[in-house]
This record gives sequence, C-alpha cells and structure tokens, in this order.
Amino acid sequence: MSSSTAALPDGPRRISRETLVKWAPLLVLVVLVLLFPLFEWLEDFRDGKDHIYLLDSRFLSIRNFARIAISASPALMVAIGVTFIILMGSIDLSMEGTVSVCAVMFALMFIGMGGTLASWAFLAIPGALVVGAVMGFINGLVHVKLKIPSFMASLAMGFVGTGFALLLTGGDRIRVEDEAFRSLLTVRWFNFPVMCYVALLGLLVAWFIQSRTTLGRNFYAVGGGEELAKASGLNVNRVRIMGFTLAGVFFAMGALLAVGRIGIAETATGNGFMFVSITAVVVGGTALWGGIGGVWNTLIGVLIVNVINNGMVVIGLPNWVQDGTLGLLVIAAVVLSTDRRSVSFVK
Amino acid sequence: MYELQQIDKHFPGVHALKSIDFKIGRGEIVGLVGENGAGKSTLMKVIYGAYQPDGGTVSIDGTTVRFQNPRQAMDHGIGMVFQEQSLITNLTVAENIFLGFEQQFVRWGVIDWKALTAAARAQLAKVKLDIDPSIVTAQLSFAQRQLVELAKVLTLEERVDGDLVILLDEPTSVLAREEVELLFQLVRDLTSRASFIFVSHRMDEVLELSDRIYVMKDGEVVDVVAQADAQVETIQHKMVGRDIDKEYYREQKQQDYERTNPLVSFRNVSHAGSFQDISFDLHAGEVLCLVGTEGSGREAILRTVFGLDTPTSGTVQIKGETITHFNAQSGVARGIGYVPRERKVEGIVSGMSVYENMTISQMGNYATGGILKIGEERALARAWIEKLGIKTPNEHKDCAGLSGGNQQKVVLAKWRSGGSDIILLDHPTRGLDIGAKEDVYEMVRGMCADGVGIILVADTLEEAIGLSHSIIVLKDGQFQQRFEGMPGDKPTLFDLVHHMI
Amino acid sequence: MTLETLKPHFPWITLLVLVVLVGALNPSFFDPGALMLLMADIVPLFIMAMGMTFAIYIGGIDLSVQQLANVVTVVATVYLANFGIGVAVIAILIGFLFGAISGYVTTRLFVPSFVSTLAMGFVALSMAKWLSDQRALSMDATLRNDSFGWMFDTTAGFPNELIIALILLALAWFLQTRTTFGRSLKAVGAGELAAVASGLNVDKVKIIAFAISGAFAAIAGLMFSVKLSGGDANLANGFLLLAIVAVLVGGTPLTGGVGGVVNTAIGTLIVMVIRAAMVYLEVDATQQQMVFGIVLIAAIALTIDRSKLRGIVK
Repeated sequence: MSSSTAALPDGPRRISRETLVKWAPLLVLVVLVLLFPLFEWLEDFRDGKDHIYLLDSRFLSIRNFARIAISASPALMVAIGVTFIILMGSIDLSMEGTVSVCAVMFALMFIGMGGTLASWAFLAIPGALVVGAVMGFINGLVHVKLKIPSFMASLAMGFVGTGFALLLTGGDRIRVEDEAFRSLLTVRWFNFPVMCYVALLGLLVAWFIQSRTTLGRNFYAVGGGEELAKASGLNVNRVRIMGFTLAGVFFAMGALLAVGRIGIAETATGNGFMFVSITAVVVGGTALWGGIGGVWNTLIGVLIVNVINNGMVVIGLPNWVQDGTLGLLVIAAVVLSTDRRSVSFVK
Repeated sequence: MYELQQIDKHFPGVHALKSIDFKIGRGEIVGLVGENGAGKSTLMKVIYGAYQPDGGTVSIDGTTVRFQNPRQAMDHGIGMVFQEQSLITNLTVAENIFLGFEQQFVRWGVIDWKALTAAARAQLAKVKLDIDPSIVTAQLSFAQRQLVELAKVLTLEERVDGDLVILLDEPTSVLAREEVELLFQLVRDLTSRASFIFVSHRMDEVLELSDRIYVMKDGEVVDVVAQADAQVETIQHKMVGRDIDKEYYREQKQQDYERTNPLVSFRNVSHAGSFQDISFDLHAGEVLCLVGTEGSGREAILRTVFGLDTPTSGTVQIKGETITHFNAQSGVARGIGYVPRERKVEGIVSGMSVYENMTISQMGNYATGGILKIGEERALARAWIEKLGIKTPNEHKDCAGLSGGNQQKVVLAKWRSGGSDIILLDHPTRGLDIGAKEDVYEMVRGMCADGVGIILVADTLEEAIGLSHSIIVLKDGQFQQRFEGMPGDKPTLFDLVHHMI
Repeated sequence: MTLETLKPHFPWITLLVLVVLVGALNPSFFDPGALMLLMADIVPLFIMAMGMTFAIYIGGIDLSVQQLANVVTVVATVYLANFGIGVAVIAILIGFLFGAISGYVTTRLFVPSFVSTLAMGFVALSMAKWLSDQRALSMDATLRNDSFGWMFDTTAGFPNELIIALILLALAWFLQTRTTFGRSLKAVGAGELAAVASGLNVDKVKIIAFAISGAFAAIAGLMFSVKLSGGDANLANGFLLLAIVAVLVGGTPLTGGVGGVVNTAIGTLIVMVIRAAMVYLEVDATQQQMVFGIVLIAAIALTIDRSKLRGIVK
C-alpha cells in the first residue's frame, strides 16, 4: 500500500492548476518589469531617440527601484498583516482605521515624550505596536464573540478607528520632524532607505511566524478546514483572535513606516491602504478562501501593485488609470484562484 | 476491556439506542453492521464521546467513565478514523498527524520541524507508510490518506497509558480491492497495539476482518455473531427482518400504468464521480424507486433529471425531447417538480408564508407584467390547504412554523398546483410521524392516479417496496438489478439488500 | 413575548424612544419646518440606503455605492450642459450598469460581493477622476436651476426632495412586495437553496438586486450633486458607513431575507435623529463617525441571524 501511488482521480489537472496559481504572480511581476521598459523603448523609438531596450530604461534604474521600494514598504507591512487573516479564510478591512490610529497615537506619544528618538520618545515605537495589537484584539473579539462575519466586523471597526483618529487629531496634521526618526527615509544604505530594510526585517519576522510557530501553522489549519481543525482539538476562536491581534501589530508597523515616509501623522494616513493591501494579497496568490499562500506571495503582490502604479507614471499614463486597473486586477486574481467546482454559491 | 452496558440514547421523538450491550476485548476486531438508521452512527458517537448516553454505563477495565467530548475519549485511548476525509489537505502530513498537539515540538516558541518530522515518520512506520512526512497532504492518494488518518489516531499510543480502541468508519469506501487487502493486513498486525471496531456496509469485508459481529436494527443489537458462525444471508435477514403492512403503503390503490411514451428516459447516462451508465424509463402513473446505500448515486440521478447537474455522457429525454442544456428553470418549465431531502433548507423557504411558498416555482402564472396577483395566489393556497388537509391557521402563516408533514404537503402542493407531472421525491417521509407518512403515501397514489410519474428515493426499503411499481438497485453508482413490484408480486427486502451491499 | 417575536419591532421602537428622548431634551426638535428640513437633508443618504437594502436583502453587500455616487456627481456636472435633465437618465444607467457588473462578477465568477463591489467601486473612482480631471467641478447656476431647480421647491408646503424620496420609496416597496422580482428576492434572501430547488433563476435575481443598488446610488449621487451644485471624485465620501448603518438599524440583517425598504426608511430616520441629537448635545462632528461605527456593530450584533451562518463565522 505504501508503494501505491494512485493519483487523485483528476490528478494531472489539479497539479497543473496548482502550478499555475503558484507561479502566476511571479510571472506577472517579471512580465511587468519587462513590459514597462518596452513602452519606454517604443516611445523613444517613435521619437527617433537612441534607446537600448532595458539598459536605457528609466523604469529599470536603481533610483526608480528605490522609489518603488519606498512606496511598497508601508503597504507591505499592512498587507502582511491582512495575509494572516486571509490565510484563515477571514478578511480584515479595518486597516485604514487602525493605521490612522497607530500613526496618530505614535506621533502624540513621540512628541509628548520628547520628540526625538534620542529621548524616551523611542518608547512611542513599541507603544504604537501595542496600540495596533489592542485594536486588532478588539476587532477579533467583536468578530469572534459577537459572531459577526469578519468583513463587516472589521469594516465597522475601521470606521470606529478612523473616527477615533479624527477625534485625537481634531482634523489637524501632526508633524514628526525628528531627524533620527526621519532617517528611515533620509539615510540610505546601498541606495535604499532604511525603511526598506525595516520592511524586509518585518517580512522575515512574518515568515518566521508563518513557518516556525504554532500560531502561524494554525492559520493554515483553520483556513484549510475549520471544522476539521476544531475536531482535532484546536481552539479556533483563540487562533482567530490572536490572528487579528497579530494583524494589528503589522498594521502599526505600516503606520510607523508611513509616518516615517512623509513625516506627518493624520487621520488620512490610513487612506488607501485597504484596497491596496487586499489587492496585493490576492494578486500575490493567497486564496480568499484561506489555507493557501503566505507572506512571500504578499511580497510579490505588493511589488506587482507598486510596479504597476510606478510604471504607469513612468510611461506617462495619468494616475487615474491606477485605481481602475487595480479594481480589475483584484477581480481577475480572485477568479483565477477560485476552484469553481468547490464553491457552491457566494454572497 | 471496553464495555457498554444498557446504553440508552433518546433524541426528540426518536429512541435511537435501546439498552445496548457491547464489549470489546484486547486485540479484538469487532464488526458493526446495520441498515441506515439502525443506530450504528449514534452508537459510534457514544463510543468516541461525541454523544453522551441518557442511560447505562461505559466502563474501561471495569472502571466507569463518562466522556464529555471526543477529546476526553481520546485521553482514555479511544480514537476515531472518520469516514469523511478528516485531514486538512493544505497542511503537511506531519502537521496533520500532530494537529492540536504541536506543543510537544515547540522550543521557545519555535516549532522544531526536525523533531516533528521524525515523530511523524515514526507514526507512519506503524502503518507501514513510507512517505515523506513533510509533503502536503493534498498530494497523497485516498488510500494513503486513510493510512495517515490511522497513523494520526495511533499517536494515542504515546499519549495514553492503557489500551487503545480505534473505530474505523467505512474505511474501505474509497479504496480499491488490493488496497483494502493491505489495509486489512495492517489492521490485523496492529491488533497487538489496539482493538478495532469496524463499521462498513460491505458485508463480505466485515465478515472477513471481524472476530465478532454486532448486528443492529432499530436502535437495538439484534445479534452478536462469531466469525466462524457468520453467514452473509442470515445477517442480512436479521438486519432487515420486518413485516410489511400492505395497508400502510396503500397497496390496494396501486394501479398499473401505460408502458408507452415515457415521461423521462435515461440512456447510458453518466455523471463523473456519482453514477455511470444508467438507463431507465419513467411512465405516467409509475412510481420508480432508486434503491442503494448512501452515496450510491440515487440523489445525483434525481438532481440530473431536475436539471441541477449536467451529465457527462448519455442521453436524457424529457417527454420525448432530448435535453441539451441542463438547468432547473427549464426542468420546471417541462413539468418536473423536485421534493428535496432537506425539507427545511431546500424544500420550503423559511420566512415565507404558505401561499408564497406554493407559488414560488410558478409566479408567472400569478402575475401580469411582473405584478403579482396576490388575491389569486391566496385563493390557490386556500384551495390546496383544503385539498391536502394542511394544518395551518391561514395561508399567511410562515412555513417555518408548520410541522414537518405539513411543510412536505406545501412542497407537494407547490408542484402539483403548478401542473408538474414528473415528481422527484427524495426521502419524502424523512423525519415525519406515522400519520404524516401515511398522508404522503396517500398523495403518491393520488398523483399516480392523475397520471404523474414519480421517481422516489425512499427513506426505508419497506417504503421503497411498498410504494413502487419498479425498483432499480444501485451500488457505487452502477446499475445492479431491476425489479418489478406490482402488488402481490413485490420483491422482498432480502432481494434488494442482496444487490445493495 | 419573547425576544425573537419582539425583534421585528425593534427599529420603530428605537426610533420612537430616540424621538421622545431628543424631543424631551430639545422641544424645538418637533418644529415642523425644521424637522422637514432635517428630513430633506438626509434624502440622498436615504435613497442610497434604499438601494443598498436590495443587496443586503439577498445576503450580499454593496461597498461600491459611495464611489458610484461620486462618479455620478462628476458625470452630472460635466454633462449637464449637453443633456440638461437627460443627464439623470445617463446617471441612472451608469449606476445600473456598474451594479449589474458587480452582480455578474459575484454570481457567475464566484467573487464574494464585498470584494467585487469594492473593486468595481475603484473602477468607478477611476472614471470619476478621469472625467473630473481630479478637480472639484461646479455646475453652471442657470443650467442647474433650469434642469433641477424644481427639486428644491416645495409642493403644498412639502419639500420636493422629500416627495421624490417618498415616490421612490413607494416604487421600491411596490417592487419588493408586489412583483415577481420582489418575491424572488425574498426567496433568495430567505432560502437560497430552496429557491434553486424551486427552479428560480437565482443568479439573475441577484444580478438585478446589485443593479438596483447601483441605480439608487446613482440617483443619490445625482441629488447630492445638484444640491451642492457641483461634482468631484470624493464628494460623496462618508455616505457608505451611514448607508450601511441605516439599512442595518432599520432591521434588514446582514444575513438577508427579512426587513426591506420600509425598514430602511425607519433606519434612515434613526440615523437622522442620532445626528440631530449629537448636534444638540454639541457632540463634536469629529466624533460622529466613531459613534456610528459603534452603532453599526451593535446593530449587526442584534439583527444578524446566526442560524443562517451554519456554525462557521468567517
């Protein structure tokens, strides 16, 4: 019996499908990276300018890559947070509110405690992470204890968060001008600002959690078969609440990088993160139904989204195209990752 | 070693287990057989702690125990290998084996994958499965998954002091013949480590593997047979032995039917994964019964006739017209009515009134330009409430508040009032009390007299025999045998069971 | 009287209690003229919420309504000069079409409605930014008054806005209770599987429900645009939360099947009274969103039918 390698009834098809879903995001990213220079080349060719494909590309330059990395860093943190939730088959739409609250709380604490990293104000950084954790924890409690579907619980919590941030700021912008903190953006190592390395570190931590901790593996168990996981004695509710808490921490990381990037904390700091992060996660190949994907997929997804946004600007497309493109992209990604035979109906 | 004494279990309206005595010795393999609804699965749930008995005692080595949940039963060495695949397919084999018990491999918050994999390999060795524990479960064959489930249960060995009792629920249903052989050999080898309770509807396999066999019927153990004395036929007789009351099934009202112009005609119809190469004709006034065990393809055939499933090959004709596009709308338009098994979920719309439920499939008849003529709907509902004797204060009553029998009448009224003349009945009497069942039988005869053709998947074999003109026995999606069943010349229960299992 | 039998009456009891409370605090709340103005003010939100009711009634959600209203404010402003009052037809068509596409993506492509509508919302946003060139546009005063000035007149002492709202409510109510479509909607919302087993074209019903939601969002956007005499890609931001709140506190639960547009009318009035109370109690405007977010959570928790979620809440 051990030697019997009877394949699944529909073995070959499933494998090809899996392979496709697994590698499609990376392929898309590579194609995009080659595509934008092609447009540049075409344009210069039309204008009769000298242009060697790829080599003379403005898109394909270290400077532009740094630009992409800067814009991708906060989004990556937020997207990693929501990745854990989506892995469980749930969704978290609270990120805009959570990011705003964390950003504002951070700025208030930072300035309140001295306004420079060289003072006690550095405590504002762990402080902000705790704020994120608390918001995520409440979010998880509302979802699990009140038995409200996560998309709605988190959407409502997001509104509460944005409202709370507005309450804190009264609509004002809070400037964080400490040079040490702003070195996240201003200091560059190997052409890339510090914040990119911070984001990379965050990614590695997330990868560690995903692959090396019980919690991380339990996300996959819950997403792969909640009932079965329960039957095996897993405390699914606890896993869910911890998942939302963890997501909150990563949202706070995103908030810190976002503040570091522009030097301002305000109610609007979180704006736009919801759609970008959800898009990035599903485009990266993490299935909305849970159980498949992970933080590396999210890295690819975030890069795809940011490469598209950046590339469109480089080749001179108006920026209004971006929102619509992402909208269509997310639909396409969900459709591609859905095994239609296994879904009866959706609402 | 493990013993049940006079175990009772009641559910609302059902006495599911009646004073069951059951015991299993160390290293023994005990078979458990019975028809659907005989109480096998309730008994198993009591054994592995999912249900708590209302009466009687459970004891292990003479000590009385009581399990609040499966986890507690596991702590006493009782494990269950589920019929449905209970492995999470996106996890690795090793993770599945230790799901919920990973803590032993965690050092300072970090999973020690090496230790986990090594431990999993040791478990797999017990079931002689030589695969890499770190591959994803989805890549395994069903046979391999079955063994992994067994390996998962065998982790109890390390966790529990004392003996193991392992329940195997239909472990062979997804296996090929040679895989079954290997599994049986393995189970026999493992009796040095554990006792097994083996539940299967494949009688020959139960006889082959078990040392003793418990035969259940109507919530009771009717016999315990040692392997040496066991014979398939005597056991089957004990499983079904009941008398059939002709009056009950209204056999005196059973009329012959015209064998021309079939309403529904299947020619070599297959649906991948559920049934293969099925052919039959259904005529006006005929009750055609599909008989088989759970998963034999009965429901899938009904769904195909109605249009919810599209067959992968073969020809389906409804009233002489070959169907090319399968969907429920055109099924209804051709006069097909479907009475699903899950009455509360698929039959009636809870939250809608009696009259709304009756016209839901035929709103076009009660509307002009999309605007409903509610007065006419209500008049129709009142007429059918009277005709079928539906017990409801009025036609505005929410259907969810009616009794099961009256809900079923509403569903039938929906199709009959719309003029459907092909009616598909899926367990139409499930969960109904006796009076309500008789009402349904009466309606079946009434519909036949009106020239309706009925395809029936009955709740019990007696019902199938009592009601039908023709019976088709299915097994694993394959046609087995056809019986004609005019009054006075009906097949016996044994005839059917013989072909079913 | 158990909690379950009382549940359908919660919304109007809540409304009554709130009105009495606010009236006790501030008797001038009952001044007919002021009350009428308050109500007229909330008409665009009400219309949007009424459309959203259809999406929620079948157990879905429409997160695109705010963006649809945005794009319509732009379309109305840009094309008012070309089409005059005919711009209303274009607006409604746009809303209907966007909604229908969301519905198609949800039912036929198996994308959950919160994702499909969110995504279509961004497509709408793209369109709004493109048409408006990302600027705030304003309408030509004369053109606006010629074509839509009547909206802000009064008839027999009633603001025309309110009359429009009542007519639309009557239409939606008729659609919901007296037509085959409305009945199908109820069947899909209350028991989708039974609707399938009865041979209803469930996909079509759902697509139309989303299309209606889109069309009503467009009407809301149009009225809002005319009211503010302009359009821009962010004009209607802030509507989404209140629209969802209005539907849910009105008693149409997230799980669908019960409630309806009349409930949403009550829900919108509740929103209005809460707002009025906050103004009177001098609660800072910045706190409103938080308050409504919490009201939303409470409303969902109280109304949702957990038996329909089949044990698993994702």
